[in-house]
Amino acid sequence: MRRPHVLSILLALLLAAAPAFAQETTITLGRFFGACDTPGVSIADAVGEPCIIQAIVDAFDAADNGVRVETLPTDWGNYYDQIKASYAAGNAPSVHVMHSSAIPEFASLGALADLSEHLAAAGIDTSDWEATARDAVTYDGRVYGVPMDAHANLWHVNLELMAAAGLVDDDGAPILPSSPEEMLEHAAMVRDATGASYLAADFAEFPIGVRLVMALAWQQGAELFGDGVSNVNSPEAVRAVETIVALFDGGFADPRLNYADSQQAFLDGESAILVNGTWVVDFYGAQAANTNVALTDYYAADFPTLFDTPATWASNHLWAIPVTTQRDPEKFDAALELLAWINDQNLAWSRTGHLSVRTSVLESDAYAALPHRDEYAGTIEIARDVQPVVRYDAVQDVLNRELQAIWLTGKPIAQALADADAQVQDLLD
Amino acid sequence: MVGNRAARRIVVIVLMLAAALWVVPIVWMVSMALQPNDLLARTTSNVAWGLIPWPFTLDNLGFVLSSGLTPRWFLNSAIVALGMTSLVLVLSSMAGYAFARIPFPGRRLLYPLVLAGLVIPEQAIFIPLYTMFAEWGWHNGYFALIAPRLAVPIGVFLMTQFFRGIPDYIEEAATLDGAGRWTVFTRIMLPLSIPALSTLAILTFLYAWNDYLWPLVSASRPEMFTITLGLASLQTNFAQSEGLGRVMASGVLASLPVVLLFLLFQRQVVRGIAMGSGK
Repeated sequence: MRRPHVLSILLALLLAAAPAFAQETTITLGRFFGACDTPGVSIADAVGEPCIIQAIVDAFDAADNGVRVETLPTDWGNYYDQIKASYAAGNAPSVHVMHSSAIPEFASLGALADLSEHLAAAGIDTSDWEATARDAVTYDGRVYGVPMDAHANLWHVNLELMAAAGLVDDDGAPILPSSPEEMLEHAAMVRDATGASYLAADFAEFPIGVRLVMALAWQQGAELFGDGVSNVNSPEAVRAVETIVALFDGGFADPRLNYADSQQAFLDGESAILVNGTWVVDFYGAQAANTNVALTDYYAADFPTLFDTPATWASNHLWAIPVTTQRDPEKFDAALELLAWINDQNLAWSRTGHLSVRTSVLESDAYAALPHRDEYAGTIEIARDVQPVVRYDAVQDVLNRELQAIWLTGKPIAQALADADAQVQDLLD
Repeated sequence: MVGNRAARRIVVIVLMLAAALWVVPIVWMVSMALQPNDLLARTTSNVAWGLIPWPFTLDNLGFVLSSGLTPRWFLNSAIVALGMTSLVLVLSSMAGYAFARIPFPGRRLLYPLVLAGLVIPEQAIFIPLYTMFAEWGWHNGYFALIAPRLAVPIGVFLMTQFFRGIPDYIEEAATLDGAGRWTVFTRIMLPLSIPALSTLAILTFLYAWNDYLWPLVSASRPEMFTITLGLASLQTNFAQSEGLGRVMASGVLASLPVVLLFLLFQRQVVRGIAMGSGK
């Protein structure tokens, strides 16, 4: 008699617990950013992109919300190959990170869920998003993602070298040029005073050079491409390229440096300025605090205005939901809940150095208190993304190749821009 | 005699220099794997052009080894590489024997068709193969990682050529002794073809172990990653500048099985390649 009684109790317990198990919805999350070297760390203690995003996701996963999140990490270089393959196979992650420049390609194919009517119900206040971030996740008037940050090109400054050249003002901020001519004057001052080069950047590999040229074209009121038309071979583009080439011709910058080389030159005190993104602010801050590093006085400055209109290249990391997830209401709701959680953690993500995309965060004291943030507070105002182009990656590759042909192989500017113009137009047609 | 000896010494010295040049990148990789990342972000030539790992750390190797699924990724790679190698040997040797020794109808047409596979680039069949596997629901499984590489025209060619080189009388003698086709194949021909099989096995294993592109798209779940894919997924966005030590540690660990394979079987590798080139 005893055994049936015990079995009944166990059965009753299992039945009682069953709804709790049944309620748990598992969603998959695709991302790059790499692996966290201190797994299990809290959001507050996490440092760097991999750990902060993992801590945010882990906290959501651990919460009593009935949602389990399975992370599918991929390396950055091959991320889009894998994510596109997963779409083709019909097994895309329930939610994944992407760049704003990729939205047109995915949205035009109907691959992304239209979130326009679902965000408010999920508790995401889109009116709190900064205007450029809202534009970044919008395609044809519909919202296809939740922006996580804006990352833009900055001028990372070695204040010690700049001070030696007399290029630091009374407030301790670097004096940056306001025209191409003044930039060359400053470059000569730095070289004469310190022997260091003026500016370093990855001109040889990563498309920092493309982003520089685009920013300088925007500063002259020109777009290199957009609305189906290539404007790469324009007077503004020529002027932008000439501005950069003048640095090489004067011996103030080295076009052969790649990402790692240019960073080493900056950290070793061999270059006064490094053009790179917001994502390295905290890393350079930490390096400057290291007594073994030549860079001792670091400043993260807004990209200077060399022409008429302030502008710097920017992009956004955002979270999107594939349309396949939308077909499963439970997963879709769970994915939206996760996006709302990530949206709430915008301040934590900003510790990476990226710019917040939420007005409430941007205006908060906590954000202002983050290292160096006050130095490049103006960047969010001048940040500009590329025009929405379905084949943007290919366009960027063409521009990078032709620009590198100019400064690495001596290809005439006019010929390179004409070649690039024809190829970009082909891609836009 | 003196002239010959001097010439031989010069040749040895040149070969030693060439070997040293070949070894330098490997030593550099190992050295960087044993240096701190924050140092490598500033310089990759700290002591003796970076060839001496100082300051020394095991953090990078520890990070890679302690990252949750690294043992699983090694296991996956081993399963895929060994599974692919075994099946390629079976299929290629059987096909090679048939083409070389069995006068079946259509052989003269079929053999060139198989060899035509040599001129079809892998990328050309990539998308249809991928979508086909997706429709069948095979992705994220061992079979999907192994199956696409089983039809190896170069393996069939190698084995066919080898079997053709074995004198007919050996097979005829076995047949006279009452051996059937299967017995001749398994008991006579396969043991004789061990050098060719060794070459094919090693080439296939190396290919499978180092493969990246197909696992990248076929395996999206971390538990199904191979070691090349898994180690890449650990890298941060700008690992080449901020996590160089870990990148190199990944390279060291991923290449260890291959190096061990070569050290254990180098005699067979060299003999097999020499034999293959002579055919």
